[in-house]
Amino acid sequence: MAAALQLPSYLDQSPEVAARFQRLQERPVALEVCGLTKTFATNRGTVTALSNVSFSVHKREFMCVIGPSGCGKSTLARVLAGLEAPTSGDVCVYGKPVSGPGPDRGMVFQAYTLFPWQTVKQNVMFGPLMSGVSHSAAESEARQWIELVGLSKFENAYPQQLSGGMKQRVAIARALANQPRVLFMDEPFGALDAQTRCQMQSYLLDIWKSVDITIVFITHDLDEAVFLSDRILVLDPHPGRVREMIEVPVPRPRHNDQLFEPSFMAVRKHIDHLIHPPGQDHQKESPVLRLVARDPDVQ
Amino acid sequence: MNPLASIFKGWFAIRRDLSAPRRVFLTAISFVLPLSIWCLVSYVDWIWHPDIKLQISSEREGNSTIFTAGDHISPSYYKEMVAATRAENTQLLAAATPPKSTKRANQKLLRQLAPIGIAHDWLPYTDAQNDAAIYHLWRDIATGAKVPVEPALSAENLEIVKKNWAQLAPVAADFSLSSLPETPLLKLIPQGLPANPVFLPAPHEVWRSGWRDFTSPAPAGELTMRQRYQHSLRVILLGFFWSCVIGVPIGVLCGVFDFFSKLFEPFVDFSRYMPAPTFSTLLVAVLLAGDAPKIALVFIGTVFQMILVVSKTTRLLDPALLEAAQTLGASPKQMITRVVIPGILPNLYNDLRILLGWAWTWLVIAELIGVKSGLTEFIETQGRFRNFDRVFPVIILIGVTGFVTDQVLSWFHAIIFPWTSRGNVFSKAFARLFSPPQRVAAKPVVPEGSLT
Ligand SMILES: Nc1ncnc2c1ncn2[C@@H]1O[C@H](COP(=O)(O)OP(=O)(O)O)[C@@H](O)[C@H]1O
Ligand SMILES: [Mg+2]
Repeated sequence: MAAALQLPSYLDQSPEVAARFQRLQERPVALEVCGLTKTFATNRGTVTALSNVSFSVHKREFMCVIGPSGCGKSTLARVLAGLEAPTSGDVCVYGKPVSGPGPDRGMVFQAYTLFPWQTVKQNVMFGPLMSGVSHSAAESEARQWIELVGLSKFENAYPQQLSGGMKQRVAIARALANQPRVLFMDEPFGALDAQTRCQMQSYLLDIWKSVDITIVFITHDLDEAVFLSDRILVLDPHPGRVREMIEVPVPRPRHNDQLFEPSFMAVRKHIDHLIHPPGQDHQKESPVLRLVARDPDVQ
Repeated sequence: MNPLASIFKGWFAIRRDLSAPRRVFLTAISFVLPLSIWCLVSYVDWIWHPDIKLQISSEREGNSTIFTAGDHISPSYYKEMVAATRAENTQLLAAATPPKSTKRANQKLLRQLAPIGIAHDWLPYTDAQNDAAIYHLWRDIATGAKVPVEPALSAENLEIVKKNWAQLAPVAADFSLSSLPETPLLKLIPQGLPANPVFLPAPHEVWRSGWRDFTSPAPAGELTMRQRYQHSLRVILLGFFWSCVIGVPIGVLCGVFDFFSKLFEPFVDFSRYMPAPTFSTLLVAVLLAGDAPKIALVFIGTVFQMILVVSKTTRLLDPALLEAAQTLGASPKQMITRVVIPGILPNLYNDLRILLGWAWTWLVIAELIGVKSGLTEFIETQGRFRNFDRVFPVIILIGVTGFVTDQVLSWFHAIIFPWTSRGNVFSKAFARLFSPPQRVAAKPVVPEGSLT
């Protein structure tokens, strides 16, 4: 059945999609990464997490970074956010070199990092208050962001009282309230169950539509990457290197039904092959399995 | 299942909580059990009463060891003493011409009755050698004006009291050494009860003495128990306060900055192995008598631990919170005041609670240095007199104070830090009183799906 389905090439783009990529290319560059290398000195020698990574993201583009576990995705996000200094190479946001964490770049982490002693509203007010906005202004601003993520009812709840998905929505609101120009998200939905993750994805696209923001989204989930992004940066592991930059031919606006469209499946399959080259770990047979008699129904 | 069998099932499940009734039951048992053991040991003679505890002293001619009331002796020696004293008295009564005795010996003999008077509060406990009062006690008991009950005098001893008084009364109504007879008076026969060998007083004795000590006015020149208690609290709280003032900021700095950690912690780590009491003579020499050296001892005893515990607590704060704050544009100063401090407060509060418990240990030592003071001075003095029935209430008072403080503080934890727990009855009532009604108190009920 699957063999009968003839997938188009992932490079095939409909004229509308091609035109859109053309227009995106002409936008100003929001994030520029040039020859980024990051090594860690450990007691077992130097570990190269990222090696000569270069790419650029245009204004209001949604870019995903994908790669197997340990390929340096988190390291990349941390360097971009300024939490780690690069060993060599440059990162520029709208032409301004990055030299440390700053309010122009927001970050949403995989682990829940809401301040547990603050209510939802206080968490969202944190950024504006740090940059000297008055309490009342920060409060009314926070209310708008909380409304945007649909949590108005919970503005006085503590993070502990929220579900995982709600916590990440607050984290998004908190990052956006600071009015960053680029938002980095490091596997923000990684800890959520599949259904909630799905909702959060469409939800994130809604936010992206209504807010002037460029998003760099890190994930190891193929469907998530294809569903969300304009372009996908595929990283190779050990050391982390750019394998390919893929333009996703799936037209926007996106919705869940597109998951089974040929263009979607084509990109998905291509990335799958990049990340899990066929004939590698799938055919491995463990000695334990050999002890089990062959079962024609279990294959 | 057999309902009886189900009662015994499931008490020992690994890392499983017991049901609420079972928990309450065991909590009650944890107090009831030691109390019942105490009662059994105190009131059931055959369980553990290998000694005789004297109520009336025993002293004999030619025996240099004098056993006074409260001393413990073995039953066989007790029998021997009783027999020997009786023999002496019989000999005295049978003698045709009574042997000579000194007035001093008779004065000492009269004092044998003092413990009975003290036990009944007819004499203050400081009056064990107040001969005038003791003389009147002989009169009152002989005439029946005062009847000892707890402990009671044996019929034999009552007889002796009457006989002696019959000899004393005609000579003088009040005590004077010169008017004591020159012939020996009769000796009181040693009197005692079976007792356990650890000087553990019975619950009712502890209760009675405790009530008396806590309610009666102080003997002249001494403090009431309430004043002693206040004094002890003052010393511990001041010592602990200074310890917090110095220890908490240093601890937080050590937890945040490696600079301070490396600068302070090695020496602090070393210092805490120097036992604080060894500084006591130095403290008294430098800070002189009074409360200052005591407060300083509580301070020294707690501050080093506090620095280490607080720095550890500070390091336990999730570094991801600090990174999140950084990406939100917090400056280093803001990270400390807006993230580190509020983030560690709930744990810091618990650390201080535990350290306050330790401070009580240091208080007891502190009150013994220089001029002894407070509750410990009372424990020390009474312990020396073997008045353990008066010592225990004070020890229990200290225990109850520590325990109640700790429980109250732990209840307040839920109010001060409402985000850390689901709260207790106390904090929920408090929240209802002081918070706006729209506050969300439970898990959200809005389904995730309603967002898109
Ligand atoms: N602080 C660090 N010290 C040493 N090695 C590190 C550090 N952070 C990451 N690494 C190494 O860098 C590589 C990439 O890690 P990471 O960026 O977390 O991968 P990913 O997020 O893609 O799973 C891993 O091999 C990891 O061991
Ligand atoms: Mg990662």
